[in-house]
Amino acid sequence: MSLSRLARIWPSARRYASHSVNSPAPSFNTVGPYQVFDRNVKCMQRDGAASRNGGEQSRLVDYVRDEVAHRMMERFLARPGHFSKLLEPEKVKKSIMIDSSHATLNRDTDEEFEVEVERRHGDEESLLQIISPNSQEAVVSCLSLHWVNDLPGALVQIKEALQADGLFLGAMFGGDTLFELRTALQLAEVEREGGISPRISPMTDTRDISNLLGRAGFTLLTVDIDEVKVGYPSMWELMEDLGEMGEGNAVIGRRPFIHRDTLAAASAIYKELHGNDDGSIPATFQIGWKPAPTQPKPLDRGTGKVNLKEVL
Amino acid sequence: MNASKIAKDAQTPLKKFAYASTVTCSTQASAYGKCIAASYMDVRRDMCKEEFAKFAECLRTTLKRKW
Repeated sequence: MSLSRLARIWPSARRYASHSVNSPAPSFNTVGPYQVFDRNVKCMQRDGAASRNGGEQSRLVDYVRDEVAHRMMERFLARPGHFSKLLEPEKVKKSIMIDSSHATLNRDTDEEFEVEVERRHGDEESLLQIISPNSQEAVVSCLSLHWVNDLPGALVQIKEALQADGLFLGAMFGGDTLFELRTALQLAEVEREGGISPRISPMTDTRDISNLLGRAGFTLLTVDIDEVKVGYPSMWELMEDLGEMGEGNAVIGRRPFIHRDTLAAASAIYKELHGNDDGSIPATFQIGWKPAPTQPKPLDRGTGKVNLKEVL
Repeated sequence: MNASKIAKDAQTPLKKFAYASTVTCSTQASAYGKCIAASYMDVRRDMCKEEFAKFAECLRTTLKRKW
């Protein structure tokens, strides 16, 4: 009896369910950072991508991250996480890797490192719950900050986690990343369906990054942009690889489906609008760099305790 | 890899669809894409309806399906 009643109620209840069952319902009584990304969905996507085929597919599409990690190495000769294998033991004693996706974090547990490595599973958005304040000599982030909702808050936490005079080096996707795919999908949706929907994440602009870093209290900032261009046979391979990277769409309020006609239209537009002469299509990944050593500021005038005469 | 080998490998529905839209119907796809690219600054709904109808027709006959 109760079962049949449930069965009757359930279908109508489903009609009111929101499009994403995993995201917490927005609370209108609290003031928090504006939620752009569905962190639960992102975590599921990354877990799924890293555990598919025992991580084989995921390793295959590491090319963007590896390239960025190598470019980061040129800027700073030490890096944890994706690139701990390149850490030099004489410079670094121990490195802690943090990732919100358990499967991604433990994908290559058998990999050999020259330095001591510790893996901690936790949310980047609540960094200070994972590592204690004033404990780190350097914090390095390689392409993980583009899924963070509360970027100012995350940067403040990074600053808090650093010791005095510590260094933060980060790389994140920003600016015009995947603008080819974005424009192709938008044009296809406008022409076929008469409107657009969020398919590609909003990206942080480089200028905003330096403001955010300054606001978080970092000093001696350097921010620059680099571009990685990858050629694909067609839009389909690009989208497949993005999925394997765990970089699928996780914008709150996304439409969870796309019409076949729209997708075909986008593929045709991508090729005609952005395609290379040899028939392949380019995809641009724009990476902003931001080394930011937090350094103690000079003392105020007149607060000196040592007489300069005695020193000289 | 030659074209027939790729076509044989394309087994999943999405792969078949991808193959049809980029290889089998490439002429119609290119005509549609050119129509959009000609005035991509001012795109309106059903602007390239005729071009797309041909493209969609080709996809449907290739995949022997309707949607």
